[in-house]
Amino acid sequence: MKKSLIAMGLVVSMMLPSVMSAQKVVCKIKGSDTCLPLSQKFAEVYGNKNAGSGISVVGGGSGVGLAALLSGTTDIAQSSRKMKIDEKLKIQETGKAVKEVIIAYDALSVIVNPSNPINKLTREQLESIFTGRVSNWKQVGGPDLKIIVYSRETSSGTYEFFKENVLKKKNFASNALLMAATGAIVQSVSQTKGAIGYVGLAYVDKDVKALQVSFDGGKNFVTPSVENAMSRKYPITRPLFYYYLTSRDAAFRPLINFILSSEGQKIVLAEGYVPLS
Amino acid sequence: MKTKKSTLFTAALMALCLATPALAQENAGTVSYSDVEQLQSDNVLAKKLKITGYIQTQFQKADTAGIASFAGGDFASGIDNRIAVRRGRLKFLYDNENAQAVVQFDITEKGLAIKDAFLTVLEPWMNTVSLTGGVFDRPFGYEISYSSSARETPERSRIFQTLFPGERDLGGRLTIQAPKTSSWNFLRLDLGLMDGNGTNVETDSYKDIIGHISATKSSADEKFKWGLGASIYKGGFAYTTTNLYTMKKTGAEKGFVLETVKKGDQSLRQYLGLDAQLSYDWVLGITQFRGEYLMGTQPGTSSSSSSLTAANVSSKSVAASDGVVTTSNVGKDVYSRPFAGYYAYLIQNILQTPLQAVVKYDVYDPNTMVSGNEIAKAVTSGVKTGAADVKYSTLGVGLNYRWSSNVKFMAYYDFVRNETTSNIVKASTLDDLSHDRKDNVFTFRVQYKF
Repeated sequence: MKKSLIAMGLVVSMMLPSVMSAQKVVCKIKGSDTCLPLSQKFAEVYGNKNAGSGISVVGGGSGVGLAALLSGTTDIAQSSRKMKIDEKLKIQETGKAVKEVIIAYDALSVIVNPSNPINKLTREQLESIFTGRVSNWKQVGGPDLKIIVYSRETSSGTYEFFKENVLKKKNFASNALLMAATGAIVQSVSQTKGAIGYVGLAYVDKDVKALQVSFDGGKNFVTPSVENAMSRKYPITRPLFYYYLTSRDAAFRPLINFILSSEGQKIVLAEGYVPLS
Repeated sequence: MKTKKSTLFTAALMALCLATPALAQENAGTVSYSDVEQLQSDNVLAKKLKITGYIQTQFQKADTAGIASFAGGDFASGIDNRIAVRRGRLKFLYDNENAQAVVQFDITEKGLAIKDAFLTVLEPWMNTVSLTGGVFDRPFGYEISYSSSARETPERSRIFQTLFPGERDLGGRLTIQAPKTSSWNFLRLDLGLMDGNGTNVETDSYKDIIGHISATKSSADEKFKWGLGASIYKGGFAYTTTNLYTMKKTGAEKGFVLETVKKGDQSLRQYLGLDAQLSYDWVLGITQFRGEYLMGTQPGTSSSSSSLTAANVSSKSVAASDGVVTTSNVGKDVYSRPFAGYYAYLIQNILQTPLQAVVKYDVYDPNTMVSGNEIAKAVTSGVKTGAADVKYSTLGVGLNYRWSSNVKFMAYYDFVRNETTSNIVKASTLDDLSHDRKDNVFTFRVQYKF
């Protein structure tokens, strides 16, 4: 009995490292700035729990991440927009296929300087402001103050999502200031009285004010929050994606399983994103 | 004494220890600064200069030895299979933000040829209008500018190979397309002013105008994408004789009627084209459809409806008995034909595998005024039509295997059908058009792209 217990113990101790090493994930994640804080947290927590893991996370924008996946310079592309059909065709042209995983949702938030008395805007007003038709806050019920529009660069998935869903595909104002990173928008809006910008909910802090928005012509204004996004009341909610080659599924599956687990989704919530359920 | 020695030794060791990193740092500093500068310079150059290319090697088997073929050129007399380098492309692109220069070579067993040599300048104010000059693809339709390395079939359609041999021409092109940030980016207009003589040296003062307008859009969920385009070609070639034959119907007869034209005047070459593309991402994989329809008037010769060039109309070399070769401009009479044709591709990417199935059907009718037994039927006045007026349809089926980002395998079979006429009966099966000729071709191709 004692011998068999020792033998079992030996077998278990021999198996343990291999089980543990099966959870080890080494990869590069690149792309969406919106996803950046969340991916960094995933990498940190997962790395602490699984010895030997090494997950590096870089921003740059969804377009940059997806281009890096196409060129093979990143393992996982994080994206706040869906992969385009042309991008899929390019991947297929190389004999490869991609796996798409929704890791969380985000409530895209319109932010202004906290000193701005404006608290809410309709989609139509947002369209007018971001396309340059409205250039002074007094035109939308605010103070006599020039509006400074901040936007992300064209490689940003958030840029594309905002243009598609809020501006209804109209052009941004020609004088809109295009920022390379989401953090730069938050910083600029916090320091500029007449500024307006848009960022992922997780980026909203005390230095900026998130506006209530209405997509029904001003009948209902909804605050960007996790609760309102989960209840689908908030109209500018979007999925956040991870894309990777299907051939690497086995290698990244432990990380993906962790992200989709209740533990991973608790991180999503704690970081200010909207969990899957 | 012992202590003194050890103190001295310790001091020397410390000095060495301190000095070494300092020295190393100094060296590293000096070296690394120039290294970084060099790297930066190399990086800038590497970003600006892009060298790409591809090689297509293939084995082909024809139904009959020596057939005329649009699947990569005619088979040599007595030969029904061949191994060839179909394309060996090497492209240099120098991209300096708003100005680009491109040179592309084709290197095969047939020799070295220049495929592209052009420059493009994009205005920096709106990033909307660009000018291109040199040798480049004619801006007509969709299939011409679709790269042979990406195309799912071995060759372009018969109609494009006939009307636009070599695809390229010498000229200038104005392109208007709003930048990606604009909601008008989905529209594109290309206007070309070309020599109309292929990649040959210009031989007349006439210029051809080519225009293509296109629109592409994707659905919000990125499941569906469509594209539509319309093209126009207006130009011609200088007559090298005073004889122009145009198709006319006289009573029940259809044939070429002779008109007298002024040598040097411009023959009529005009096309209209419509193109459409659809992509749909669904459970079986991405399905693509591409189609294009062309019609117009084509100046050719009695034996061919292929586009005229200086080479096939204006010179003839004669070797005398004493060995002296004389080249003279003898010219050829122009035969003008109303033509029509189209192609359709159906491409299915099989699930998420590297496999891709393709079916292509293309039709080229060089002379829409005659069909079947009307072709080559004797006429009482004028000149009867002939083999150059026969309609062809080609059904191609193929399978592509994208082995890696560099390597692609292609297996493709062309079922070629010709219109039949009882008026062209020849002993040689190659020339007999009283039945469908045995001119199907199988192609197995390996492509390496870099």
